[in-house]
Amino acid sequence: MREGGKTEGRKDGRFDGIPLSVFPSFRLSVLARLHSALKQITGMPDYAGYLAHMAERHPDRRPVSEREFFDQYVNARYGDGASRCC
Amino acid sequence: MRLLWVGISLVGAAAWGVIALHRGETISAAWLVLAAVGTYLVGFRFYSRFLANRVLGLDGRRATPAERLNNGRDFVPTTRWVLFGHHFAAIAGAGPLVGPVLAAQFGWLPGTIWIVFGVVLGGAVQDFVILFGSMRRDGKSLGQMAKEEVGPVTGMLTMLAILAIMIILLAVLALVVTNALKDSPWGVFSLLCTIPIALGMGFWMKAVRPGKTVEASIVGFALLLAALAGGRYVAQSAALAPLFTHGGVTIAWALMVYGFLASVLPVWLLLAPRDYLSTFMKIGTVALLAVGILVVMPPLRMPAMTRFVDGTGPVFAGKLFPFAFITIACGAISGFHALVSSGTTPKMIRTEPDARVIGYGGMLMESFVAIMAMCAAAALDPGVYFAINAPLGTLGGTVASAAQKIGSWGFTVTPDQLSGLAQQVGEKTLLGRVGGAPSLAVGMAHIFSSATASRLMGLWYHFAIMFEALFILTTLDAGTRVGRFMLQELLGHLSKPLGRTSWYPSTILASLLVVAAWGYFLIQGVLDPLGGINSLWPLFGISNQLLAGVALCVGTTLIIKAGKARYAWVTLAPLAWLLAVTLTAGWQKIFAADPRLGFLSHARDTAAKVAAGAVDPATGARLMLNDRLDALLAGIFMATVVALLLASAREWLAVARGRKPAVVRETPFVESAYA
Repeated sequence: MREGGKTEGRKDGRFDGIPLSVFPSFRLSVLARLHSALKQITGMPDYAGYLAHMAERHPDRRPVSEREFFDQYVNARYGDGASRCC
Repeated sequence: MRLLWVGISLVGAAAWGVIALHRGETISAAWLVLAAVGTYLVGFRFYSRFLANRVLGLDGRRATPAERLNNGRDFVPTTRWVLFGHHFAAIAGAGPLVGPVLAAQFGWLPGTIWIVFGVVLGGAVQDFVILFGSMRRDGKSLGQMAKEEVGPVTGMLTMLAILAIMIILLAVLALVVTNALKDSPWGVFSLLCTIPIALGMGFWMKAVRPGKTVEASIVGFALLLAALAGGRYVAQSAALAPLFTHGGVTIAWALMVYGFLASVLPVWLLLAPRDYLSTFMKIGTVALLAVGILVVMPPLRMPAMTRFVDGTGPVFAGKLFPFAFITIACGAISGFHALVSSGTTPKMIRTEPDARVIGYGGMLMESFVAIMAMCAAAALDPGVYFAINAPLGTLGGTVASAAQKIGSWGFTVTPDQLSGLAQQVGEKTLLGRVGGAPSLAVGMAHIFSSATASRLMGLWYHFAIMFEALFILTTLDAGTRVGRFMLQELLGHLSKPLGRTSWYPSTILASLLVVAAWGYFLIQGVLDPLGGINSLWPLFGISNQLLAGVALCVGTTLIIKAGKARYAWVTLAPLAWLLAVTLTAGWQKIFAADPRLGFLSHARDTAAKVAAGAVDPATGARLMLNDRLDALLAGIFMATVVALLLASAREWLAVARGRKPAVVRETPFVESAYA
């Protein structure tokens, strides 16, 4: 998967007045966007979205590797026991 | 546009009309679905808009926590419909499926009315208000909001109430799984397989192809279906079947070991992969069930109302009021949703107006799942329904005795029909499989196999059992872990090192204590001659509805402190109804003179039987201890909620009389970039 979030041509990082971070998988193919939506619905880590976020908000910082992102995400989400219903 | 809404209202009203007029004759499930969906649409369009604009004041110009604190991990602005799916998957579980099935003992009408109107006026309001409150406070939890807006004692009481309710919830769900799996090699085999599958997925996502969760889940799902098909082979094999045939007590112990391991093992290994699998299954199966019901449109063979509204029902004791409203639990209003609505979801909302479709709309969807469960149960032959759901102690051990007993209740079923059905679904017997899951599975298998091929009945039955067991186990492992963290936080007040969640001895101790607590109630439920569901499910229903009472108290406080006291009735009205229902039910469960209903009179009755020599003293002592423990728990739940209500009411009055300013502790306004 390509690294999302490149914002050339839209220097203000906006699209129709909406910040690009809203579309984590902006400019990705339909399949990749479906993939991303599926991940978000099931609560899986969305690395492409994270890369887009880093590129958009913190271009000066190096994003963590996919492996490290997975660890951090899973711990943030389940570390204290995910709340879920009966 | 206006015409469309007039049309939707008319269709909904017409469906209710058909339901009202056709009592006594069999009607199609389509009318139930139509009436429910019509009511949901009208409720969403008009009532939730009123809540959003007038009561809560959703503000599209105000930046949400996801926008302000966006970190690409837990605070992520998420597209509305994606988040809707995510939120629905987090709130939906076994509750809305099992509750309506049990409540079908009163007939399908009372449950359906409560599921539909309870959600529009109560459940969805609760979820929406708490989601809104948490969203305005950077995703704070229900307990934290109670502490900040009402007071520290209330916050502490809320924490304790949540922990106690969690224990009962885990015990009763584990009991549902145990009853579905006992003496069922097919079920045990396919469920056992989910554990190595999850471990393999976890290992794959962590070490082999890090972060590739979707591919791992798809492979996992395929393996799951293979395990399901393999179960039939195991069940038919003379050599393998005995290895996977176990009684209730063994299965209960296995579940406890599993809960403990899930609580202490790293999350990537077991918890996360299982969660992905069960979310896939959940969304897929709910969609499948909806399609199945719409295609087959099964006739509802259960009467609209049965004679058991008088409280003599075999599935659980107690009259229509209050027990229909206790038993349905999650499908109409669920306190547990307040925990989800003040957890992950508020941190992902992109703009404030989205909260309406996610909070209110998500709960309508859950209610729709409950309606489908009701349809599946009511589509069964009532004789079959009672053969599966009445305790073995009542039915006697054979199909002949069961058919005779059910005949005495006025429903006809033949012994051949019962043994034939068991054979069709690949079980030795279906008698007395209390807990709702098996009868729902038979109902689902009945619907699915009439849409496909009837020889697939066994496969569909075990698919439904596995799907229910899978996500009950997901609640079990996540719940044990949540309980462990809460306990560690509480223990931390006694001794600092015990509060450190990363210190292994503390983790093991707290996990053991939590598992022991729910495991105790589970084992007692398994040993209970009346099947355990009889006493545990009402206790769970009461506790869940009381937690909803806590959430509505907090919600009312938020509304009043925001200076909207004139609209406080939106939460006060459901709160009053819930308290009336749960306090009545709690009182009856403790003090009712009928030993089938009241815990204390059951203890007295057991004492008399021991004295007369009908029950051996050791068993009698155990039963009496349980009765008193259950009574004590019900009493504690009731007292906690009354205390919370009084503490909140004091705040409300203080604000109303001007002794306290009407100020909420929301995060300050920041202009949204999305507006």
